[in-house]
Amino acid sequence: MLLLAFIYFSILAFIGISAYRFYLYSRMPMHGRWELYPVPKEPGEKGHYGGSYYEDLEWWNKPRIVSHFGEMKEMLKEMLFIKILFVHQQRLWWISYSMHLGIYFLGLWAVLLLAGAVTELSGLPLVTAGIVSANPWAGLVYYATFLSGSAGALLLTFGSAGLFLRRLFNNTLSKYTTPQEYFNLLFLFAVAISGLVVWSSDPAFQYGRDILKGLITVSPIQAGTALTVHILLLGAVMIYIPQTKMSHYVAKYFSFHKVLWENEPNLRNSKMEEIVKKAMGYKPKASWSAPHINPGNPAPKKS
Amino acid sequence: MENIRPQDMGIPSKQLAKPGEYQLMPLPAPYDKPDMEPDFNAPNQSWSENYCTSLDGFIGNDMLLRPKTTEEEQEIIKKFLSGLDKLFSEETNRNYLQPLMLTFENCAKCNTCSEACHTFKASGGEEIYRPIFRSEVLRKLYKKHKQGGGLLNRFTGGDIDINIETIMRLGELAYRCNLCRRCAQTCPLGLDNGLLAREIRKLFSMEMGIAPKPLHENGTVNQLKTGSSTGLNRVAFLDTIEFLEDDLYERTGKKYKIPVDKEGADILLTHNAGEYMAWPENPSAFVVIFEEAGLNWTLCSSDFIGYDNVNYGLFYDDAQARKIGLAQMKAAKELGVRRIIVGECGHAHKAIALAIDRTITGADNTPRESFLPLLLEIIEKKALKLDPMRNNFPVTLHDPCNMGRMMGIVKPQRDIIKAICPQFREMTPNGAKNYCCGGGSGFAIIKSHNFPEFRNKIASRMKFKQILDAFQDTLENTDIPKYVAAPCSNCKGAIRDILEYYGTTERYNVHYGGLVELVVNAMVQFEKPFLEFLDKDSFK
Repeated sequence: MLLLAFIYFSILAFIGISAYRFYLYSRMPMHGRWELYPVPKEPGEKGHYGGSYYEDLEWWNKPRIVSHFGEMKEMLKEMLFIKILFVHQQRLWWISYSMHLGIYFLGLWAVLLLAGAVTELSGLPLVTAGIVSANPWAGLVYYATFLSGSAGALLLTFGSAGLFLRRLFNNTLSKYTTPQEYFNLLFLFAVAISGLVVWSSDPAFQYGRDILKGLITVSPIQAGTALTVHILLLGAVMIYIPQTKMSHYVAKYFSFHKVLWENEPNLRNSKMEEIVKKAMGYKPKASWSAPHINPGNPAPKKS
Repeated sequence: MENIRPQDMGIPSKQLAKPGEYQLMPLPAPYDKPDMEPDFNAPNQSWSENYCTSLDGFIGNDMLLRPKTTEEEQEIIKKFLSGLDKLFSEETNRNYLQPLMLTFENCAKCNTCSEACHTFKASGGEEIYRPIFRSEVLRKLYKKHKQGGGLLNRFTGGDIDINIETIMRLGELAYRCNLCRRCAQTCPLGLDNGLLAREIRKLFSMEMGIAPKPLHENGTVNQLKTGSSTGLNRVAFLDTIEFLEDDLYERTGKKYKIPVDKEGADILLTHNAGEYMAWPENPSAFVVIFEEAGLNWTLCSSDFIGYDNVNYGLFYDDAQARKIGLAQMKAAKELGVRRIIVGECGHAHKAIALAIDRTITGADNTPRESFLPLLLEIIEKKALKLDPMRNNFPVTLHDPCNMGRMMGIVKPQRDIIKAICPQFREMTPNGAKNYCCGGGSGFAIIKSHNFPEFRNKIASRMKFKQILDAFQDTLENTDIPKYVAAPCSNCKGAIRDILEYYGTTERYNVHYGGLVELVVNAMVQFEKPFLEFLDKDSFK
């Protein structure tokens, strides 16, 4: 039962701490404009070559056209394929993308395990006496789980090990890598390896569906040593990730949507003007100390 | 010193990096031959006593003076640490806290940014110019000295000692980045090392009162006092306008009356006041175009910064940027113009359009726009009679980062130049992905000690390479003039300096100037060429 509680806790911690991180970034004060082109929400060709509404004469008198589709498309390319890294550093992309794709597959695998668990709890076992169910839905869930789980585990193992080794042996990267950054990759690698050990004795991932069934029905989980170690490592990494920069899935939203692609002008009588007015009403409780800001402070000596 | 790491910033050594020891990025022909470029000069020995030459031997921040006593040293360290607090405080850094925190907390150190940086590439890969080097020093300092500094902080990277050398070198290193933000375009996480470089400059200026003299004392302080960073006061400005009218008569044979302080005009045109002093043909060309197109426009002679659109605060100090920006907006409001048109100055575009956009409301918020869409409209509507064959020589275009990458103004200048220059050719890359001229973020006007050598040999090297590449077909044919159009004062300054440093004008007949000069040069109503390097015969 303790193991079950730990799994509940780690899932809630992952969601909760990630959400808290999102909240921390979102509650920061409105920043000055710091956009960077190309901004994909600019309509048509502008979104590609890096144009903006500032190319239009008397732009403030023209309707503001925003391509949410363009923005979404670019964001999806970035989320699904890490496009910018592919374009600018392909050698690293192969390793990095392996790891990220592995995580995506494992996310899908978790959803499929949940689907399998619900299916089995509904009275339709995916496998009976070693034979996969003839039911199309059960068969689909079974094979999709197998494919996503195996691909995810292998890619995560390869990617995390590859990134670790690259950081270790590349002279430039090693100069900038902190002990924590090595640890993060090793942690992911350890989770992947422990998962591979468990998987080797249960290639169909039945253990995963059993855990999900336990979570749904709040029933104790039967776990041997290998599975217990794997659950502990996986849970720990889920609690750990959102507390580190591995939570860049949160930061990336803000750095693109709220900084680089945020080019909303402040026009008279606009919604932005209301936000600006509110922001301008804030009276800071502290200030900088240089003489030109606080004339009472002594000036630095001159050359 | 080989294999420099961010942790080495505090170690005692005469000079952490020696850019001249490595092979700089090779230049294309004919600058691939020996002796085509001047060598580095060793820094003057006496400089090290007063300034920080221990980073790379160059002095960019001439107000960063070496402390003479232990007390002074401790005071600098104390102020730096208090500035570090304020950089990360919601109270003191509201305007940039979110982008700062995003970059500070999330860099994956994938090093993709390095390949995008013209300074790093041009230096032949000098470690201290790597975009993440500077950022990592800041991270390590904050983690060690503001987040506990215990074992856990060493684990997360807080492993750098703070001493006077670390601070001095960081204060210099902040002025080895042009803030062009090309690196940010390539960051898979959307993070921005250029922003961190600017935040470090801010800390030094806003807390410690240390900023390069050309930017602060002679720049923003002078501008707030006299009306212009050039020191041009109202009376001198009005004299300059009279001079421009006379000069225009000589150039064109036509008398133009330049409108000044015309209340309720449609357009307030603003220039970088440096243009009046260094390139008067540029504001003159605007006069010709605006008058011939029949626009209702004016210049402003207001004592309060109406005639200088410069805002060097953008480069190093939020408070100065705000004061100047608001004064410029006030001048426009008092004149009652409908809109402000920004002339050929890149950072002035960004300063007035973006940097102060979220500090003004209501009637104070006069619309601002670039001169480029208006100029394109004038040309497309055929308000001027133009003969492109008057510009029938190779022309290339430099994109000021502040117009392209920061504001998304890319196409109008191309449509204009294609309409008037039959031999136009692009630099590669260009537009929003251009390379900085090397003069960005104030480098063009920082001329203290040996800094121009850093700029000419390293910061501007990529731009020089692009210029040479663009003219490869005709470069060595000295009978053919070549023209680099750079619609920005600071960019022009940097390009002027590289053409002079490498002897390119003298040797290969390569010239530079603005975009409006090309337009006036193409106007059929004038007999003489507007561009001085052309003789009258070239029009026949």
